Amino acid sequence: MFSRLSFKTQKNYVIIGFVALPLLLLLTFAYYPALELIRLSFTSWDGLSPNKPWIGWSNYKEVFENPAIFGVFKHNFAYFAVGIVQNIAAIYFAVVLNSKLKGKNFFRLLLFLPYILNGVAVAYLFGYVFDTTNGSLNYLLGQLGFDALSKTSWLGNGTFVNYTLASIGFWRFMGFNMVIYLAALQSIPNDIYEAASIDGANGWQKFISITLPNIYKIIELNLFLTVTGALEVFDLPYILTKGGPAGGSETFVMKIVETAFQFNNYGLASAMSVVLLLFVVIVLSIQRFLLKGKGE
Amino acid sequence: MKKKISLALTSVVMLTILAACGGNNTNTNANTTTNKPATNETATNKPENGGTEEAAKITGEVIFLTNRTDMIDKQYVDYEKRFEDKYPGVDLKFEAITDYDKTLKIRIASGDFPDVVFTPTIPNAELPNYFAPLDDIAFSGDIHFKDLKAQEGKMYGISSGGSTVGIVYNKKAFEKAGITALPKTYDEFIAASQKLKDAGIVPLASNFKDKWPLDVWTYDIPTLIAGASDHQNKRAETDTPYTLDNEYGKSWSIIRELHTKGFLEADVNSTNWEQSKKDVASGKFGMYLLGNWVINQVIENGATSEDVGFFPFPVDNSGEAKAPLNPDFFYAVNKNGNVEAAKAFVHWMIEESGYDDFAGFIPTLKAKEPKLPQLAEFNTFNPKFFEPAAPVDAATEIQNKAQLDQAAVVQEFVLAKDPQKVLDKVNTAWAKAKKDLGL
Repeated sequence: MFSRLSFKTQKNYVIIGFVALPLLLLLTFAYYPALELIRLSFTSWDGLSPNKPWIGWSNYKEVFENPAIFGVFKHNFAYFAVGIVQNIAAIYFAVVLNSKLKGKNFFRLLLFLPYILNGVAVAYLFGYVFDTTNGSLNYLLGQLGFDALSKTSWLGNGTFVNYTLASIGFWRFMGFNMVIYLAALQSIPNDIYEAASIDGANGWQKFISITLPNIYKIIELNLFLTVTGALEVFDLPYILTKGGPAGGSETFVMKIVETAFQFNNYGLASAMSVVLLLFVVIVLSIQRFLLKGKGE
Repeated sequence: MKKKISLALTSVVMLTILAACGGNNTNTNANTTTNKPATNETATNKPENGGTEEAAKITGEVIFLTNRTDMIDKQYVDYEKRFEDKYPGVDLKFEAITDYDKTLKIRIASGDFPDVVFTPTIPNAELPNYFAPLDDIAFSGDIHFKDLKAQEGKMYGISSGGSTVGIVYNKKAFEKAGITALPKTYDEFIAASQKLKDAGIVPLASNFKDKWPLDVWTYDIPTLIAGASDHQNKRAETDTPYTLDNEYGKSWSIIRELHTKGFLEADVNSTNWEQSKKDVASGKFGMYLLGNWVINQVIENGATSEDVGFFPFPVDNSGEAKAPLNPDFFYAVNKNGNVEAAKAFVHWMIEESGYDDFAGFIPTLKAKEPKLPQLAEFNTFNPKFFEPAAPVDAATEIQNKAQLDQAAVVQEFVLAKDPQKVLDKVNTAWAKAKKDLGL
């Protein structure tokens, strides 16, 4: 049947056939749920009953008016701050491991491995590290003679619990950032560096004038990942602290999960999710605006 | 032209697929909205397989959705064999899931869920929408917790067993600390805790960080202080349900006192539940204030049964022993499932399976004695038992509206410099939610 069609038509069939499937998957599993989420955010659905009463904008009003809901965003700041440091460290390691170094593949693997580990497993692992009485970190500090420090409650102190948690994220995602930077570094042609060397540029000058501009797009990408990651932290605090002490490490996504599944308020939870989505878009727009044109 | 044909073709494909989705949706909606009990088509489907045989004969497939992932391929194999021996026409299957409540709710919302489940946390008024009444199951005697999952005089849930709350303690640790008589008053309890602390033993494992172990301070201890179990319901009648001088304030002040006196873990924000069981078993920790279900777990973690004791928590200095009697999960039967076989299974689970003994429960049948020796020890104190009051939806509604996590409030109360401020904050949120709901 197909052999009688012209080559162009056959081509079209093939293209449509190939495009339709992923499009269909995308529509059913990404766009349809997203639209449904927006619809639910205007209802007061309890997650169970067949009727979903329409209540207009009041869920959104609640999100912004209730400090207990919107206020938790300040906990996410720690993840953002540590994320910046994480990117700087990632660039540093990428540059170092891109040079001629013995056993560099081994070190690359070593730094990348934490990313492969399951997030929940990582959280439990660090539960043992940060435990106050039996934790390995406090034990180490005690052995090194820092007696006062070795009694620190790493996960129980409201002022820095978020930084403790964020440092786990640092350990976990730094290698991933590094690998992306490495790929970018390897795509910079070597002759540019050679030309710079002939002109008498030192290592730092080469880094500032050649490396950085060339990986600018990738820095932007990594910052994007860091920002969204920081806004959407969930697994670490959920497992390690349950949002404690006294709500000090609760993140926005945890609040959403709690609202939906503990308080049966799916409408409000949907509205919170939509707000989070908008928040990511806004923060990214700001980021793009600030960095605009630098990489061209 | 051909372009147009192909375009039309793809759009037809897309439309039919989308339409199929839509069709499914309306179907499930219709299913969940019909309130007719067990007479609609899906329900009669299964029993009709054996419709030619005697009506009394129970046949078909029954699926039990359980939370005990640890019993799959172990005890459940035996259960299946014994049950199917008694009811040869029935094919019993077990499906175990974790995160039970959330998962089950999602499956109920989708309109299709197993025949026998544990009731999810939904208001009692909604039970008849999904479950079949179970009043006609003929038990050999009176059962506990009849009225807790009832709606308009019909019973929709049967408790799988009961438990009580008290002090689970390590007898060796008590011996080491020189405690000769078990504390019968609150002052004696504090003195015993001091002795444990002086002996280098952490007196009470609170598992503060994990939140759920703090539930006893919100549900059970207030019951004992108030001498009545309806305090959670009564919250709906007031704008200030949490005050320092009512049962909540008193209960939370006890754990606050234990914390300030250093009777809990060294750092309550860094506790480890799995480790605590080992520590209670080894005598590094002295006591738990939890349900009797924890006794078997302490024994599994290395203690011998003789070393683990259980006594009622003395909430005051009256010397009168009091204890709550709490239901465990409730069996419920899907009204659109294989109802007859499911009921037979619930009956069998309560009367014959031996699950209550295995789990260390107080049996649902009132006449049956608990097998656990620690429960026998507990009963020698002759405690006055308080069965929980049937829940009132208004209080739950306000609590959900106010987004109030009571265990988190206990944490805040214990850690705060000024506990009164915590209560004020909670009461304000409560009053606002109550007003918004118009209750």
